[in-house]
Amino acid sequence: MSLLEISQLTMDLPGGKRLLHGIDLIVEPGRTVGLVGESGSGKSLTARTALGLFPEKAKLGGSVKVDGTEVLGLSGSALRALRLNDVAMVFQDPRAGINPVRTLGDHLTEALRLGEGVSGEAARKRAMELMEAVRLPRPDKHFHQYPHELSGGQLQRIMIAGALMGNPRLLVCDEPTTALDVTTQAEIVRLLATLRDERGMGMLFITHDLGLAGALCDDVVVLAGGRVQERGDMAAVLANPSAQYTQRLVAATPSLHLDDAVPAAVTGASLPDGAGPASVAGRHEAAPASQVGAPEAGQGTWAGDGVVEPLLRVDGVRRTYAVRGKDPVTAVADASFVIPRGSALGVVGESGSGKSTLARMVVGLETPDAGTITVAGKDRTGTPRGREARLAHARSVQMVFQDPYLSLDPRIPVHRAVRDAASLHADGRDAAKVATELLDRVGLTPEQQQALPRTLSGGQRQRVAMARALAVQPELLVMDEATSALDVSVQAQVLQLVTELRAERGLTVLFISHDLGVVRRVCDETLVLRRGEIVEAGPTAELLDHPAHEYTRLLLDSVPRPDAGWRLAG
Amino acid sequence: MTAPVISNVPEPSSVEPTPHRPAPRVRWRTPRWMRGTVLVWIAAVVLAVAVLCAVLAPWLAPYDPARIDLMNQSASPSAAHWFGTDSLGRDMLSRMMHGARTALLGPLLVVIGSTILGMLLGLLAAWRGGWVDAVLARLFDLLFAFPALLLAILAVALFGKGLVAPVIAMAIAYAPIVARLTRQLVLAEKQRAYVSAYRVQGFGGGWIALNRVLPNVTPVVGAQSTLNFGYVLAELAGLSFLGLGVQAPQSDWGSMINEAQVGLLSGHYLPAIIPAVAVVLVVVAVNILGEEFAERIGGNKA
Repeated sequence: MSLLEISQLTMDLPGGKRLLHGIDLIVEPGRTVGLVGESGSGKSLTARTALGLFPEKAKLGGSVKVDGTEVLGLSGSALRALRLNDVAMVFQDPRAGINPVRTLGDHLTEALRLGEGVSGEAARKRAMELMEAVRLPRPDKHFHQYPHELSGGQLQRIMIAGALMGNPRLLVCDEPTTALDVTTQAEIVRLLATLRDERGMGMLFITHDLGLAGALCDDVVVLAGGRVQERGDMAAVLANPSAQYTQRLVAATPSLHLDDAVPAAVTGASLPDGAGPASVAGRHEAAPASQVGAPEAGQGTWAGDGVVEPLLRVDGVRRTYAVRGKDPVTAVADASFVIPRGSALGVVGESGSGKSTLARMVVGLETPDAGTITVAGKDRTGTPRGREARLAHARSVQMVFQDPYLSLDPRIPVHRAVRDAASLHADGRDAAKVATELLDRVGLTPEQQQALPRTLSGGQRQRVAMARALAVQPELLVMDEATSALDVSVQAQVLQLVTELRAERGLTVLFISHDLGVVRRVCDETLVLRRGEIVEAGPTAELLDHPAHEYTRLLLDSVPRPDAGWRLAG
Repeated sequence: MTAPVISNVPEPSSVEPTPHRPAPRVRWRTPRWMRGTVLVWIAAVVLAVAVLCAVLAPWLAPYDPARIDLMNQSASPSAAHWFGTDSLGRDMLSRMMHGARTALLGPLLVVIGSTILGMLLGLLAAWRGGWVDAVLARLFDLLFAFPALLLAILAVALFGKGLVAPVIAMAIAYAPIVARLTRQLVLAEKQRAYVSAYRVQGFGGGWIALNRVLPNVTPVVGAQSTLNFGYVLAELAGLSFLGLGVQAPQSDWGSMINEAQVGLLSGHYLPAIIPAVAVVLVVVAVNILGEEFAERIGGNKA
């Protein structure tokens, strides 16, 4: 008997909309099944039925059996018993799933104490065991701590420990690492693999990342539009996807192509003035951070030889934030680098590495404490004052923001948003015509151009954001995690657009990302930031193929891949 | 955004046609899309009637509201006088209609004034931050400490009776409520990336604040200001009841209740009850509508 057997599962909304069209899925004990799909594919809806969780008014058909027991239509108390003893779930954002005013111990023992009447002492002992099992360093201390005292990764370990309290045989993980950094993600996924093997649990692992599924899962079910597109052995599907959708997904997933050559379109061939890639000033893995790529380092690629003046020159830039009652935090420490005209530089780092602060200083949203920023030979350090300075700064640098849902004014139709930007920097151009041309170029239909942002998808909004930035005719385009909120297939389209626009317009790009695969696809050169310091810099391909700094190696090892070896208990 | 989900389509299970009963079953429950809105519709009708009466009073009113008819004092409702007459024989219906003008105009001016003043101050505090914010916050606290009615009485004492002084005083007293809400909303809005995007494009801070951020918070603030209308109406009626509002012979609901006090002792309840009921009805109606607006706008944000 299978641990979880979903057959012909359908789900309809009261309005008549069908969300799931007959899903079949089996999880055997000790195995991990990956449920992969993009947003709106129905992967979470499917997995949650295993716990009897579904939208209140939805009508379900088919069957969901846990250990032979039908879950659909189970009574309230039977469902509670099921969730207490058989099936547990780990959610995406650990901070959203925990009560911030109660201690972690309270959170862990609550279900046992109240649900099973276990004594406080016994429950506490079990919580300690599990906190040790999830490799938390100080269980006795954590027991009395509050959620805000732990990092995201630690908190997700607590959530996993909480899910294991009832000794479940099936663990449903709903994107448990999406809110975490890549290195933390790698640790959590290894932990999950270990726990599954130790306990012989079955695991249903939901993710949008085919690479992550490949790193952990034995079998995979690919969903799109509420239908199963493909199923089978994980490695076999990755190596030889048969369904068209899976093929596209494999092609679009950057982490699966980390070893591929950089696509031809982004290499030097397309650059206008011969300033090819590979011109970050040498590689200084052992040198002090302040020297990396600094003009004074005098590696001779351009600094001083007068051949090509770099478009962006960042020189000794530093930014610290004062924190009340604590030591000031250094977001960026003595960063120096240059980008040649027409080139693309990737800045890679985890959250808190200072990469966004760096971007905000370059576009003039923040003023550095020290150092200078020069664009095309003109000083662009700090927030511009006065109308002339503002406009000049805007024409030097434009930015595409991370979250396309927040970066467009909700009240302004997209064509008007682009037109406003164009008319502020009119230069004798017809702003309306410029807006139409740009929006056509990024692939929006005339109807979409007149629409409000909320009616557009994330990918369409990000295209609008790019058109709006280009309307100013900037020399440098800063993209701050501009594709990380998008589905992989949409991300691939946007990255393709970036590549084309660079070729057409000779645009220089500062590309900030946490995703090494994405950087590989777009950037000629890459620098790695850790806690505000540049630890390594160099041509992207070389840096990724032969990382010199240990942190770069750690980042590379953390990229989820089928051959990452996480499946074996680490 | 306004159309409720069309769900008066019967549930599939209840729709299965039974052969023995060809006629659809009579449903006693109000359809779901109306349930929340019946009250709102009644409120809207009440308010519409009050506004129409106020606007069209000179043409609708059957009598001159100030015409004293001593032969017809404290008459009961009749075909000639639908609401009866007051202790001076004036037609109650006409007085109510004319009274609606001051009763509604006062709060309207107060709401408009306090909204404009409050939104600008709130925007200034949130946008500039720092010491500007700190000073304005203390100023709001100071104004909060004054009951609005007291401020209005003070204004009357200084500048004389009538509608103008209390309206200005109340507008100032209600501005901090609007300002605090605006400040909160603008602070949240300021964090959103679209504001940074405007800055990066080269737009000036003042332009962004007035032309882009302010319009985005206006719906929520406007809905809250609607709620203020009811409170102000009640307070201004109270002021007028104390004899500090508009002066005779002009009629006002508050002053009508005051004048009818004498009649209460001799058993003529109607001249006091009618304006009192009108005040209550309009205040409740405005509150229901205001909450409906606030809910719809709040529910449709983001």
